[in-house]
Amino acid sequence: MSRWLNPLLVALLAAAAFISLHAGTVWLSPALVGSALFAPQTDLPALIVLEIRLPRLILAISIGASLGLSGAVLQGLLRNPLAEPGLLGVTSGASLGAVIAIYFGFAGAFSLATPLFALTGAFLTGMIALLLARSGGTLSLILTGVAIGSITSALVMLALNLAPNPYAAYEIMTWLMGSLTDRSWDHVALALPFILPGLALLLLTGRALDALALGEVQAESLGIRVSHIRLMALSGTAFSVGAATAIAGSVGFVGLMAPHVVRPLVGHEPGRVLLPAMLAGALIVTLADLATRTLVLGGAPLNIGVFTSLIGTPFFLWLVLYIRRRTA
Amino acid sequence: MSALTLDRVDVARGGRTILDAISLSFAAGRLTAVIGPNGAGKSTMLDVAAGLRTPDSGSVWLGEEDFAAIGRRALARRRAYLPQRAAVEWPISVERVVALGLTPTLPAFGPLPEEMLPAIDDALIACDLVALRDRAATSLSGGELARAMLARAIVGDPELLIVDEPTAGLDPRHALDAMRRLRDRAQSGRTVVVAIHDLDLALNHADDIVAICDGRLIAAGPRDAVVDEAMLGALYDVRVRLSRDAEGFSVRFMGDAA
Amino acid sequence: MRLPLLLAGFLLSALPTSVGGAEVFPRSPRPMRVMSMNQCVDQLVLALLPPGRIASVTWLARDPEGSLMARAAAHVPINRGLSEEVVRQKPDLVVAGSFTTPATRALLRRLGYPMIEVDHADSFEDIRRITRQVAKAVGEQARGEALIARMDRQLAALARDRGPPLRVAAWDGAGFNARDGSLFNTVLEAAGAVNVANRPPATGYGRPDVEVLLQTAPDLLVKGAGLGRKPSLRDNVERHRLVRRYWDGARTLTIRQAYYQCGTPMVADAAMTLRRELRAAAAQTTAPLPFAPARQL
Repeated sequence: MSRWLNPLLVALLAAAAFISLHAGTVWLSPALVGSALFAPQTDLPALIVLEIRLPRLILAISIGASLGLSGAVLQGLLRNPLAEPGLLGVTSGASLGAVIAIYFGFAGAFSLATPLFALTGAFLTGMIALLLARSGGTLSLILTGVAIGSITSALVMLALNLAPNPYAAYEIMTWLMGSLTDRSWDHVALALPFILPGLALLLLTGRALDALALGEVQAESLGIRVSHIRLMALSGTAFSVGAATAIAGSVGFVGLMAPHVVRPLVGHEPGRVLLPAMLAGALIVTLADLATRTLVLGGAPLNIGVFTSLIGTPFFLWLVLYIRRRTA
Repeated sequence: MSALTLDRVDVARGGRTILDAISLSFAAGRLTAVIGPNGAGKSTMLDVAAGLRTPDSGSVWLGEEDFAAIGRRALARRRAYLPQRAAVEWPISVERVVALGLTPTLPAFGPLPEEMLPAIDDALIACDLVALRDRAATSLSGGELARAMLARAIVGDPELLIVDEPTAGLDPRHALDAMRRLRDRAQSGRTVVVAIHDLDLALNHADDIVAICDGRLIAAGPRDAVVDEAMLGALYDVRVRLSRDAEGFSVRFMGDAA
Repeated sequence: MRLPLLLAGFLLSALPTSVGGAEVFPRSPRPMRVMSMNQCVDQLVLALLPPGRIASVTWLARDPEGSLMARAAAHVPINRGLSEEVVRQKPDLVVAGSFTTPATRALLRRLGYPMIEVDHADSFEDIRRITRQVAKAVGEQARGEALIARMDRQLAALARDRGPPLRVAAWDGAGFNARDGSLFNTVLEAAGAVNVANRPPATGYGRPDVEVLLQTAPDLLVKGAGLGRKPSLRDNVERHRLVRRYWDGARTLTIRQAYYQCGTPMVADAAMTLRRELRAAAAQTTAPLPFAPARQL
């Protein structure tokens, strides 16, 4: 199974991407998509495929990859199956950074402000989370996440109170639900320079995460510099998740689900979870984006974050119960 | 094969002296037991001996080479270290856990190189783990896990093996088994250092004894030359009755020193 | 239109919610000092009464972005919608909107202040109704009828000169579509525009996404300016590069919130202005959008 896992995930992702280019408010035929991709003109299908769906697809894949991979790395680093950028508060830290950048005019002044602020917020909250959640197991991890989440949402509220825009609260509410609607190549250009190095940093931790399965002391004895690995995981998460959140808002639970889905299929080895978790994350977000574009409930389209949370929350509860049963 | 030498090693933590000018040598081909009361500094000394902790002053030598000059990965290839209650935190198969011992020799990416598979098989055979090779390490019994961890420590054939409390939590049969395997290791020419509380096991299986108390070296040398009732009594601050027969040593503690 | 207004009301903290409730009728037939506690009622009160008879209007009445009577409001005192201000100013009549908080209205009723509550108006019929309601309460029926008659003349003039319908996509300052039945859409229709976002494939609630814009190919985008040009998240995605490429410049018309925010007889003025602005913009954009023919796809 494990040998076929990555090719299988790639194939599924390719299929989802293929459908994603065809589906939406305007359904296109493969012939139209093909001619749009290979013989671009300024007609409707070409504009829709090249300027709307393609950048959106690339963002969905890279954001999902960021979330899935950082979830797998954090779980391996903390040796805790509940570690995830969202639950650790990294996503809300990134949101806070982005809110400050947007509402206080920094984003208007220079467009890199949003990802940079989000990255900084993600880095700071991630650092606090790693410090607090490093020892003490599942309970301290969840409490750490709750504490960081509460503080950052209080700060988001404060920022909104101080924000000069009266519609800020509504915008933030929808934005926190996560969306890729109307994101363009501009956003791709803004996000990828952060996401790609972030993903590379995270992928480099694989061997060390394997050794960390034996605990930090044995990992050190096997020549791993655990403090370096921690810094790499933190920076990689901040870069990729920070930029992802700056572009799409918060998309929850992908970092939790993706590693768990693939872990049993690779013999639970933390290092071997990384690549399939990244692909599974990309697949989940691509499918979620596809669903938000094609399912319309009560007149208003769903947000991606709502969709992932709808699947993710029951999954999270199941996981908590499962872990409790196993450690009881 | 090379001896491990500590040269005037000092370690302090928070203003408190943990190790005080320790100088001694662990000989190759011998099993050395480090004994002493709780808080004597045994674990710290093992950390220093394993190169996991840099002493505040003094140096550590593996053969003719200073630890400081060996480099992290090179040292990891030549020395294996097992902490107290070593465990695995994911349900990884025993075979893969043993393979983790090869981490310092693996390339940064990719699957396990073919040429490393025989070493893993050898380690599994040496530790009687062949039947368990596909079992999840988290489902092993205490004795099985101890064997798995030993296999992961020796899979890279390190010249120096350091184990902190190899018998903690094991029943007598598995404790004896663990000591026997460490002895085998020493007899094949490697330097083996263990910290151990169980004096019966220590005295009956070790070639050399190192006794420390309050961070200072009390005694070091071949078992028969070093161990007597007076030394053990001073070390643990209790009265000790040491008897020896054809079966080996046995130690009885008689209550507080008068 | 309700929701965004309501929302704006929440945020501005002075003009919030709820409809209905018993009305307390004024004691004297011709109250001398009238106090308005709602942004929309402000404009009616300012249009119906001389400054001397106005105890106060809300501070929002002075904001030219959201008020068509901002100049008149400069000559009267303002309030921030607090019941304490009512107690201090002792008006003969309090005019509250359906967005005034229920707690404030209940308190004023308990304290015995004469008060009327005015609904939000989404259609010209609503506007006639609430104008007559307020005019009657302040004893200025004739002035009220004059305002309505003026509005009806303007609407008739607009109706006579329909011209070819202008296809637009319109949304307000919060990014909500100008929905069927909303005042915004009422004003747009009076001005001779058709909001393409009110029919399929658009889903109606929020601003149409870029895919829908491409498919429906509206000639103009009509955007509510919100409360001035404050930094917002919306800009981040509203300014999709395709929108910039095809609709920037003459094809985008940014209008004051005051045009569609409050249902008063003065929105007929706004509709006439909007008609002129729409036609001027349309005259500049004669070339069709390059993808427009593919609309029948």
